[in-house]
Amino acid sequence: MRLLIVEDDRKLADFVARGLRAEGFAVDLAADGRAGRDHVDSYQYDLLILDLMLPLISGTELLRMVRRSNPTLPVLILTARDATDDKVKHFEAGADDYLTKPFDFAELVVRVKSLLRRTPVERTDVILVSNLEVNRLTRQVCRGGQNIELTGKEYALLEYLLSSPSRVFTRTMILEHVWDQSFEGVTNIVDVYVRHLRRKVDDPFPVKLIHTVRGVGYCVREAQQPAEAE
Amino acid sequence: MNYRSLAFRLSLWYSLLLSATFALVGIGMFYGLQQYLRSSLRDSLRRRSAQVEQILDQSRPDISDAEISDAINTRVSPEFNNRFVRVTREPATLNYRSGPPADRSFDPKAVPPIAAEWLNSGVGRHTVTVPDQRLMVSATRIDTPSGRYLIELGSSLALIDALQDRLLTLLGLLLPALVVCAAGGGYLLVNWALRPVDRMSQTAEQMSIKNLEARLPVVPIGDALERLSLSLNHMLKRLRDSVQNSRRFLADASHELRTPLTVVKGELQEIVAGVSVQGAMRERIGSVLEEVARLEHLVSGLLALSRFDAGEAQLEWYEVDLAALGESTSEQMRLIAEDRGVELECSTLEPTVIRGDRGRLKQVIVNLLDNAIRFTSRGGSVAVRTARDDLYSILEVHDTGIGIPTAALPHIFERFFRVDEARSREDGGAGLGLSIAKSICSAHGAQIEVASEVGHGSCFRLVFPRPGTATSARVSARTNRSNAAVRYKPHIFSVARPPAAVSPGAASSASDVEAGRSSQPTSMP
Repeated sequence: MRLLIVEDDRKLADFVARGLRAEGFAVDLAADGRAGRDHVDSYQYDLLILDLMLPLISGTELLRMVRRSNPTLPVLILTARDATDDKVKHFEAGADDYLTKPFDFAELVVRVKSLLRRTPVERTDVILVSNLEVNRLTRQVCRGGQNIELTGKEYALLEYLLSSPSRVFTRTMILEHVWDQSFEGVTNIVDVYVRHLRRKVDDPFPVKLIHTVRGVGYCVREAQQPAEAE
Repeated sequence: MNYRSLAFRLSLWYSLLLSATFALVGIGMFYGLQQYLRSSLRDSLRRRSAQVEQILDQSRPDISDAEISDAINTRVSPEFNNRFVRVTREPATLNYRSGPPADRSFDPKAVPPIAAEWLNSGVGRHTVTVPDQRLMVSATRIDTPSGRYLIELGSSLALIDALQDRLLTLLGLLLPALVVCAAGGGYLLVNWALRPVDRMSQTAEQMSIKNLEARLPVVPIGDALERLSLSLNHMLKRLRDSVQNSRRFLADASHELRTPLTVVKGELQEIVAGVSVQGAMRERIGSVLEEVARLEHLVSGLLALSRFDAGEAQLEWYEVDLAALGESTSEQMRLIAEDRGVELECSTLEPTVIRGDRGRLKQVIVNLLDNAIRFTSRGGSVAVRTARDDLYSILEVHDTGIGIPTAALPHIFERFFRVDEARSREDGGAGLGLSIAKSICSAHGAQIEVASEVGHGSCFRLVFPRPGTATSARVSARTNRSNAAVRYKPHIFSVARPPAAVSPGAASSASDVEAGRSSQPTSMP
C-alpha cells in the first residue's frame, strides 16, 4: 500500500509519515500542491492525504485535478478549517473523508485503514481479550465465565475500546464515537463511564484490562505492564 | 402622520414663518392703502374747498345766500358728486348746505358742526372724519369782503371702506389658502428630498456582516446627500475589507495554531505510548498532554466564537423538540450527576418545538448541565424544565448549587470571565463555555438569561421566539432591546414566564431565587 501525503508543514508531514510507516504503509511526501500533482501523475497511489492550505496549488484545486484524472483514488482531507460548509464543499469536490486538525494519530490510522478497506476491526462476533468475552450479536459480556450486566453506553464504550485491542483511544475519539461532539471539551463524561465500566469489568478480578494512558486516553490490553509498544 | 418627523416639523416651521410674513404683508398693505386713499381724498377735498373759497373770495360784500348757493351748485354740484358742502358766516349764520348726495351715503343735516376748540385755535385748515356718517370733512376759515366764512367740504368714506373690505376679504381668503398650499407642498418637498435617505436606510437595513457587498444607492446630484452616500459606501468598503481581513486571519490563525498542536500532541502521545519513558517522566509528559488538550479546546472554542462573531457559523436548521432534547441530554449526563451525588431531574417537560441546530443546542444544554452539576454539592439537585406560551419556548436549568454572586452575574457570559480563582481551578475549562452558549443562542434569535443567589442556586433560562408566529421576529427584537438594558432584573423572568407552565412550587422557588430574596433554601419538587 502506497500513500501520498501532501502537506506543507514539514514536521507534521514527517510525524504522520513516520507513524504510517510504522503501521506498514509506504509513504511519499510532497510539500506543495505542484509537487503533489506531479506525484499523483507519476505513480498510482492507493490513498492521498491532502492538506488544504498549500503553496503553489491549493489543496482544493489539487483535489479537483485529481478527481478529473483519477476518480477512484481515495482522498483524506486534513485541514484546520472545521466549518460545516467547508466540509460539505470538499465532500462535493470529491473528498472521501475529512479530518480536522489537531487530530489524534490513532484516529488518522482508523480513517486511513477504513478508506483502504483494511479495517482492523475484528469482524468475528465474539471478541476475546484475556478472559473477557464480548459477544457482539447478543451484546453479552462475560469475564471468567461470569456474566457482566452493562448499560447501553457502557457496552458501546467497551466495544469501541475492544475494536482495536492494545490501541490507545483518546478521549476525543471516544466522545465522537460513543457520544457526539456536543460533549467535546465540556465534560468528564468519558472518565465517569470508564470508571463505571472498570467497576464492573476490572474491580472483581485481579488482572486489570482497562488501562489509563495519562494525557492520552484509555486502552484495553492483557499485559499488566503499564507501557507496551503498540 | 408622524408628528416628530423632520418633514412635519420643517413644514410646520415653514408655514408658521410664512403665515407670519403674510400677516405682516397683509397688515402693511391694508393700512398703507388706507393711508394712501385717505390722503388722496383729503387732497381732492382741499381742491374742491379751494373752489368754494374762490367763489366767496371773489363775491361782492352783499352777496346773498341764493347767489352763493347758485355759484356752488354750478361749480361744485355737491349732490351729483356725492359731496357735502356747508358754508357758515361767523358767528353762526348758515349760508349754504348741500342736499342729500346721489348715493345717499350720508345725511347732510346730521353732520355735526366742527369742534369748537379748532375754531378758537386760529389755524387755517382742519380735516376731520365724522365717524357716524363715515364722512371726511375738510374745514377752512377765510376772511372775505362779505365777512368771515367757515367752509366745510366733505366726502363719503364709503368707497374707501368698500375697497378696504374687499382687500380684507381677499387677504383673508387668499393667505390661508396660500399657507396651506405652501405647507403641503413643503411637506411633500421635504419628503421627496428625504426619499434618497429612505432608500439608503432600506439598503443599509438589508446589510449584515454576511452581506457586505451591497452598496447604498448614490443620487448624483452633487450635494450633501450624494457625499453622504459616497462616504458611507467608502466606509462599507473599508468595513468589508476589514471583515475579509479578519476572516482570512481567522483561517490563517486556525491553520497556524492547529498544525503545530497536532505535531506536539502526536509526538508526545507517541512518546508516552512507548516503552522507553517510565515513571515520573511519563507523569510529566502526561501532564503536558493534558495542557495540550486544554490548549486545543481553547483554540477550537475561540475559533467557534470568532466564527459566530463573523456571522460565519453555519447552522443546520431542523425542527427540534426542546423537551425531547433536554430529556435525552439529561439521560446522557445522568451518570455524571450520580457520580457527584447530585440528583438530576427532568419531570416538568412540556413538549415545545422550535427551529434550530440540534447539535449546537445540545452543546448549550450540555454546557449548562455540566456547570450546574459541577457547582452543586453532594445531595443537591439539578432540574431541566421546558415550557411554552404563545410567544416563547423556554428551557430552564435550575440547580441548588453554590450560586453566583450578584456582582458577577452581568459578566458570566463574557469571554474568559471566572467568578473566582478557586472555581477556575476546579473548573479546568477555558472560561468560554457560557460565551459560546450565548453566541449559539443569539444565532437562534434566542435569549439566555440567568438568575442566581449565592448559597441557594442558579437558574439559566433559554428563551426562544416561537416559530410560525408572525410577530416572533418583532417580539424577539423587542425583547432583545429591552433585555439588553435590564437583563438581570427579576421582572424579565416574570414577563417571559408562561402561564401555568411551571408548577406553582417550582415557580415560587424559581422567582425567589431570581429575586434574590429567598429566606429558605430553594427546593426542587
